[in-house]
Amino acid sequence: MTSASTQVGSIRGRGRVGGREGGRARGRHERPATGGSTVSGVGLLVRLELRRSRWFWLVWIACLWLILPATVSKYEVLMPDPVSARATAASLEHNVTMRAMLGPPFDLLRAGPFTMWRVGTFVAAAAAMMAALGLIRATRAEEEEGRTELLRSGAIGRHAPLAAGLLVSTLGTLVLGLLIAASMAKAAPPASGALAVGLGIALTGLVFVGVAAVAVQLTESARAARFIAMSVLGGAYLVRAVADGSPADSPLVALQWVSPLEWAALTRPYVDERWWVLLLPLALSLLLIGLAVALENRRDLGAGLRPAGLGPATAAPGLRGAWSLAARLDRGAVIGWTVAVVICGIAFGSLGNGMDQMLAANPQLADMMRKMGGGVQQLKDAFYVALVGIMATVLAMLALQLWSRLRHEEQTGGAEALLATGTSRLRLAASHLVPALVVPTVLLALTGALMALPAAMANGDPGFVATVTGGALALAPGIWLVVGIVVLVHGWAGRSRAVAWIGPAVVGWTTFVVWIGPLLDLPGWLQNLQLFGHLPHLPGAPMTWTAVVVQTLVAAALIVVGLVGYRRRDLTVP
Amino acid sequence: MRTVGAVPTISTPSTPAIDIRDLVKTFGPTRALDGLTLSVQTGQVHGFLGPNGAGKSTTIRVLLGLLRADSGSVSLLGGDPWSQAPELHRRLAYVPGDVNLWPNLTGGEAIDLLGRARGGLDPRRRDELIEAFDLDPRKKGRAYSKGNRQKVALVAALAADVELLLLDEPTSGLDPLMERVFTDIIRADRDNGRTVLLSSHILSEVEALCDHVSIVKDGRIVESGTLDDLRHLRRTQVVAELADAVPADLAQLPGVHDLTIDEHSGEHGATHRLTCQVDATGLDPLLGRLSTLGLRSLVSTPPTLEELFLQHYQRAEARDDQLVRVAVGPDPS
Repeated sequence: MTSASTQVGSIRGRGRVGGREGGRARGRHERPATGGSTVSGVGLLVRLELRRSRWFWLVWIACLWLILPATVSKYEVLMPDPVSARATAASLEHNVTMRAMLGPPFDLLRAGPFTMWRVGTFVAAAAAMMAALGLIRATRAEEEEGRTELLRSGAIGRHAPLAAGLLVSTLGTLVLGLLIAASMAKAAPPASGALAVGLGIALTGLVFVGVAAVAVQLTESARAARFIAMSVLGGAYLVRAVADGSPADSPLVALQWVSPLEWAALTRPYVDERWWVLLLPLALSLLLIGLAVALENRRDLGAGLRPAGLGPATAAPGLRGAWSLAARLDRGAVIGWTVAVVICGIAFGSLGNGMDQMLAANPQLADMMRKMGGGVQQLKDAFYVALVGIMATVLAMLALQLWSRLRHEEQTGGAEALLATGTSRLRLAASHLVPALVVPTVLLALTGALMALPAAMANGDPGFVATVTGGALALAPGIWLVVGIVVLVHGWAGRSRAVAWIGPAVVGWTTFVVWIGPLLDLPGWLQNLQLFGHLPHLPGAPMTWTAVVVQTLVAAALIVVGLVGYRRRDLTVP
Repeated sequence: MRTVGAVPTISTPSTPAIDIRDLVKTFGPTRALDGLTLSVQTGQVHGFLGPNGAGKSTTIRVLLGLLRADSGSVSLLGGDPWSQAPELHRRLAYVPGDVNLWPNLTGGEAIDLLGRARGGLDPRRRDELIEAFDLDPRKKGRAYSKGNRQKVALVAALAADVELLLLDEPTSGLDPLMERVFTDIIRADRDNGRTVLLSSHILSEVEALCDHVSIVKDGRIVESGTLDDLRHLRRTQVVAELADAVPADLAQLPGVHDLTIDEHSGEHGATHRLTCQVDATGLDPLLGRLSTLGLRSLVSTPPTLEELFLQHYQRAEARDDQLVRVAVGPDPS
């Protein structure tokens, strides 16, 4: 509470915000309408949010902005001469893995549309994540902390916090889109294509501003709202992956119109743009925002849509300490992630099975796959390597989420309460560490097994399940490594801001290198300087026990050193 | 600084429940505890009194092994609170100053969880306390008001069969009725021989419950002793009505301070109303003089804890003012 109020104070102090007094003095619009508009004070809140979250938006926009123009600049390297370009493009267009991961290719012989295909959907998905997280941190997170209540006690309208969050998030995605459009217009003319790219990405972000705006009405915690918004994002990605990965004559292809993540690509930037497609995200955003406002009208401040019910008066016999508490707190997230993993595993698995037939028809694909898959022998293997790799990165985020529960418990007093009982520090830390290590590992194995299952059944080859599951597990030390890093920082620098950003930064860097790295000609050592860079990518590559063992040991060492530090330091208390 | 706590009470058990010597704890540039020395004998209900930011919560968190002492020695129930935290915690219960509950757990679940994590709690006692505090244990943590969150923590702590209670401003947020319930329960606990360290800035609560008091300021104990000890050290307020005029030299008596005189003229002639503060040593000579001046009524009030507290802080502030004045005053030469 104090931070919000001091921030308001500090802005006022510098005279940048015409609060009540300032507004009156300067005759500006800031004075709250005495008639009681539901968005009174929105200008003040927008400025507060811009001040409070400036680094959030700056870092996100800066990271996403340059991916597209940088890819354009590498196009010449990838496609040196027209003859090889045509062969490469032809093989890429028919590559199921690439289509499922990246989207539908429309014209790979020019830098603009190639760039849109190669990284456009990735950036659009990242912009959607930025927009949703930005909205949630401006609205439900503030409400959960009680700061909104403090502000609303002033002359601030009922919808003003939501309106301010919507304005700031919309502004953020629009700025990103326009920066992308401007830089693409220079790097890959014509400007109309660049504008389609920028608008497509911005409007994808806007859809998820709407998704998040609805999500924050439903739940009482920012954590749950984030989970809903990210699930929708993951679902949208999955739907378009299935649509794009299906054979052209499959009815599943029509699903691409269902996924908001596909609309930017379906605008066909640079290839006879279909501008009307942009009406889809625009309409859906407005619909979702309208729904969010309607929902907000029906709920109380601080509450979700459902009134809080009563629970049991006594605890179940199992709830008796740090371990059972962690299990209880993580239950919802683990169930949700398991469902998501099962759906993804089955969906990707059916795509992989369909590839067998496609392979026979298009032998020339293999050549490109060898290049893209980094020495992968078989196209089919490359498919599993690529998608298991994506899932490993996603599950690394789950690991971070489970471990970050400890920090959350420290900040909210739960850790203090437990540590004042017969619970030791080590026990408390372990109750969050073990789930962070075990749950993602189990789900990673489950992903591998489910992905391999359809092909194994179709080919009568049960050994294939073991092969892909083993391949997935070979990536587990990557997840353990990021856990080791965050445990180390938590143990020795628990009060620093790095605790909050180091884990997401490492996973973000890994994602960036895996998706964009090959395009940017990063040196090999840098390309491998990520969570999964040194691990064997089975079944495409040979098993290298050294890398697996060394990385596991490094992770274990980081964890041990981190726990030693955690036992020695002051507990972080609210 | 005057420490009176060292005076041994009768039948002191072998080791004190809490024994802190020269404790120092810094947070960056802030010196939260600056050589704090505090001893709580077994069976005492010890008031730990001080304004916000004086170091009360920090001291308790060091006692719980949540914070690590920079220097000094700390002994809790005969053990080391840092290295033996879990074992020691089974013998004590803690109520934090700012209670936050798990938003998804009901109050009843939180009570049971904390009780079991401490090694079990008496279900009958738990239910009695829930009844006494008029708490609905079925609500989710996020649905409780501040006072009700406080009640959850109090029930969890008081239902535990432990030797020592560490209570950090335990009644903040409770209404007067519930404060009364709390006072009654602690009184009963005191009679059962439980040791209590009660941090508070509510003086009446400490006065009602505690036999010993330590006053903390800026990370140091500035007064410590039994309530009676502290009162003996302090001035009594005397208000007397006299028939005769008050001689001027009365104000010069040793130990008499802030003497003021009001004159009223009524049907029985003039009345002189004298008000002053008297040190314990000055009481006898003063009363001797007053009795010769036509004493009509006399009210003497022992200092309340509040006055002790205010006196101490006002004195300290006055000293600070003087220091400042000296520092900025003109050069005497």
